[in-house]
Amino acid sequence: MSLKKFVDKNISIIMTVLAFASLLIVWELVSRFTKAGLFLPPASLILEKFILSFKEPIGKYTMLTHIGVSLYRVGVAFGLSTVFGIALGVSMGYSKLAEAILKPIFEFIRPIPPLAWIPMSILWFGLGDKSKFFIIFLGCFCFITVNTYEGTKNVDKTLIGAARMLGASERQVFFDIVLPSSVPYIFAGLQIAVTAGWSAVVGAEMVHSNEGVGWLIVMGMTYGKTVQIMVGMLAIGLVGFVLATGMAKLERRLCAWNNQGM
Amino acid sequence: MEQSGNVKTILECRNVSKEFDAYDKSGKTEVLRDISFSVKENEFLVLFGPGQCGKTTLINVLAGLESATSGEVIENGKKVTKPAPERGVVYQKTALFPWLSVMGNVEFGPRVRGQDKKTRRETAKHYIDLVGLSGFEKSYPSQLSGGMRQRVGIARAYCNQPEIMLMDEPFGHLDAQTRYMMEEELQRIWQSEKRTVIFVTNNIEEALFLADRIILLTNCPSCIKKEYIIDMPHPRSYVDPKFLSYRQEITENMDKSL
Repeated sequence: MSLKKFVDKNISIIMTVLAFASLLIVWELVSRFTKAGLFLPPASLILEKFILSFKEPIGKYTMLTHIGVSLYRVGVAFGLSTVFGIALGVSMGYSKLAEAILKPIFEFIRPIPPLAWIPMSILWFGLGDKSKFFIIFLGCFCFITVNTYEGTKNVDKTLIGAARMLGASERQVFFDIVLPSSVPYIFAGLQIAVTAGWSAVVGAEMVHSNEGVGWLIVMGMTYGKTVQIMVGMLAIGLVGFVLATGMAKLERRLCAWNNQGM
Repeated sequence: MEQSGNVKTILECRNVSKEFDAYDKSGKTEVLRDISFSVKENEFLVLFGPGQCGKTTLINVLAGLESATSGEVIENGKKVTKPAPERGVVYQKTALFPWLSVMGNVEFGPRVRGQDKKTRRETAKHYIDLVGLSGFEKSYPSQLSGGMRQRVGIARAYCNQPEIMLMDEPFGHLDAQTRYMMEEELQRIWQSEKRTVIFVTNNIEEALFLADRIILLTNCPSCIKKEYIIDMPHPRSYVDPKFLSYRQEITENMDKSL
């Protein structure tokens, strides 16, 4: 009875754990008992190496430093793209003139994948962190811009009218109505962007680096170290999962008003 | 300022007509035709007409949210050209700001107009209490029922101290029972703090329950068909013989065509 209650209450968590466990078991069995094992190291080995990598360095650094450095790069780039993305999205959504001038250019640049920018990025920003910021920035920027733009465009006109009737100035309409009502859209954009930025980290760290989770994979590829590659992938997946979950939690808190009939 | 007797005229609608471009741009759709009336201080005027007859357009023109194709709206001797806090609007779909609490919504007008926090909070609290929402100050609109949201809308309009309140079918979306209750509530609120009100509805009972005067509008294009002074004491009963005879008279004059 109490077990049933426990299961009912935590059903989604239990399912998540079960799904991960089954994935690991299938992986383990496939790599140990089929020929695929030649190309797929067993899950237990990857997990073991992953845990070990927090104590023993891969390259010059331990896993915590690799993750930390990558997070720092993504953090800076994500911060910058948030500022520029919201600014551009809001101006295109709010001003017809800005939309006419900037939207076509933006739509032209949007489909170019961040990785395609690597050569130009090295040319412009050199081999240091700046060019990594730039690649990750491009990975986040478009999502934030598009969502902010949609949000500002879709503001309920009745609310703007209501605010004007109550005496709000143009500036107040913008800051008190247009911005807050776009927040759920902006947040959806930030959520996609943080994941996209974190995914772009591999590409960014292809550009001459000595550390970072992307570097783990790039180096593993160069020297044919399958286990190191998969440890890097595991780290990326895990941190990405934590980031996405964290953003979702933050959104639920900040946009509580948007959850109809809580 | 125009005076009639010793009661001040607050708002005057002079020969207002409104046309929109037809959907296929082939011509014009006439929505309002030559509408003229005036409202006196603290009068409860009901504009009664069938659905889709352009009542919302008329309210928007009176508010200053839309401009008339011809004619003009005069408030206290000044021509209405744009939205202004002298005219408070209560919307059919409430138009509450969903990211603000009940308090945030009600104090919005005084806040954007720069009133200090203490004064505006006190005023807002007074009106939240008046509409019967004490204890819900911190709730968000999404947590309230339809009737409660409409109460917030009324408190928000009141709190900004407008000279005239424009109510656009505020109870149109409510179920019948809540609607009766809200009509009684509005009557109680209005009796305790009188304001000049223009109230739009397509419901004859609602019109008779609330109005000092009813203006009967015809179907699209809207024009004024007839005017009735409703001389009955409040609170009114829906089954009072006098109520029913008014009802019969107005119903007979309603535009039956579609």
